[in-house]
Amino acid sequence: MRVDRRSRSTAFGLAVTGMAWLATGAVQAADSVLNAAPKPADWAALAQLPDWSGVWTPNTSDQERREKADPIPWNPKAAAEIRKLEAQERAGNPKGLFVNCLPEGMPSWMLITHNAMEFLFTPGRVSILGEMDGNRLRRIYTDGRPHPSDPDPSFHGHSIGHWEDGTLVVDTVGILPEAYIAPSEAVGLPNNGDMHVVEHIHLAGPDRLEDDLEVTAPHVLTKTWKTSRFMVRQRARKYDIAEGVCIQGNFSEAKDSAGNAVFVPVPETEGGNWLPPAK
Amino acid sequence: MKLESMSRMVIFSLACGVLGETMPAQAHHSFAMFDFDKTIACPATVKEFRWTNPHVTLLIEAVPKPGAPPEIWSLELTSPGNLTRIGWTHSSFKPGDRIDIQFNPLRDGKHGGAFKEAKIQATGQVLTSSVREANETPNLQ
Repeated sequence: MRVDRRSRSTAFGLAVTGMAWLATGAVQAADSVLNAAPKPADWAALAQLPDWSGVWTPNTSDQERREKADPIPWNPKAAAEIRKLEAQERAGNPKGLFVNCLPEGMPSWMLITHNAMEFLFTPGRVSILGEMDGNRLRRIYTDGRPHPSDPDPSFHGHSIGHWEDGTLVVDTVGILPEAYIAPSEAVGLPNNGDMHVVEHIHLAGPDRLEDDLEVTAPHVLTKTWKTSRFMVRQRARKYDIAEGVCIQGNFSEAKDSAGNAVFVPVPETEGGNWLPPAK
Repeated sequence: MKLESMSRMVIFSLACGVLGETMPAQAHHSFAMFDFDKTIACPATVKEFRWTNPHVTLLIEAVPKPGAPPEIWSLELTSPGNLTRIGWTHSSFKPGDRIDIQFNPLRDGKHGGAFKEAKIQATGQVLTSSVREANETPNLQ
């Protein structure tokens, strides 16, 4: 199986390349059931990794260009559904894929987010924290572990990664079949299961971070879809990540009969737009 | 400039008028339900400013046509995080503020729209909603 082969090659790489692999820290045996406490050397090794500090904001204009430049190889059935969704959007009556505030999940988060994100390096792991929602969070294990044989499906899947010359190579499986492959907020389809995403995330300039994605989704795509997105670095503090609880938008602040500050639901259109109160 | 002269005109009439096209905002939902070929401009009173995710919302009271009773409209913006980067805060508007507002209305005729620009009459401060340039340019200072 592909994942197991990757894991074996990772262990081999660890043995032969030494420091490059130790830079990921706290290396785990494939069959380990414990997360070993990092040693000072594991923390020190993080300094060998590329500098991805700061806040990264997605380039929305590039997302729109890529939507046209890298067409998704939908299979005929999916393509017919996509054409309907595109027609709805052109008609000004878009289907909102994410108005229920469930996470975009993988790979759509990386494809279409308009919100900032940040990357945290700790021994054995890279964590990606998104601005919108506490649950837009990816944990990428870089400690050499393999994927679980039968991972619990999740919006962001199970991700393992390793470093190759400053590039973080990420392999993700175990993504919920309901997670969309979406080139926009209005057009996209569930992956319907068995999706596999490989990413090469790397600096393409001092303040430009690229994510080259390969998405394999056998139930909706005819072949692996390759595309890329980029973000730019922000260091000004006004870009610091803000709390963003998506579902908070479904509520308005009010006082209950006892004077407590409470949330009350607000009326919305199907497209997720708030409607004003009658008076 | 065309927009300013139109704004002065609608302020004088105390009702809303229609201006030209504008650019879409950004969201957790598509903005295709807004008519970006139509910009409505009018003087308005802020009823409520909701600094919440995923979209900040400004509730305004405005007079849609000369002689008509005032109506409340709900105008959407992007997220607090994004707006912070172009100088907004949770207190950018207060209830009762008199403003000159421009927005793109919902296509279905409901009283909603996408915020485009507002000028606070008391201070002259102009607030716009496009965060694209701020997000696509590294800010390293």
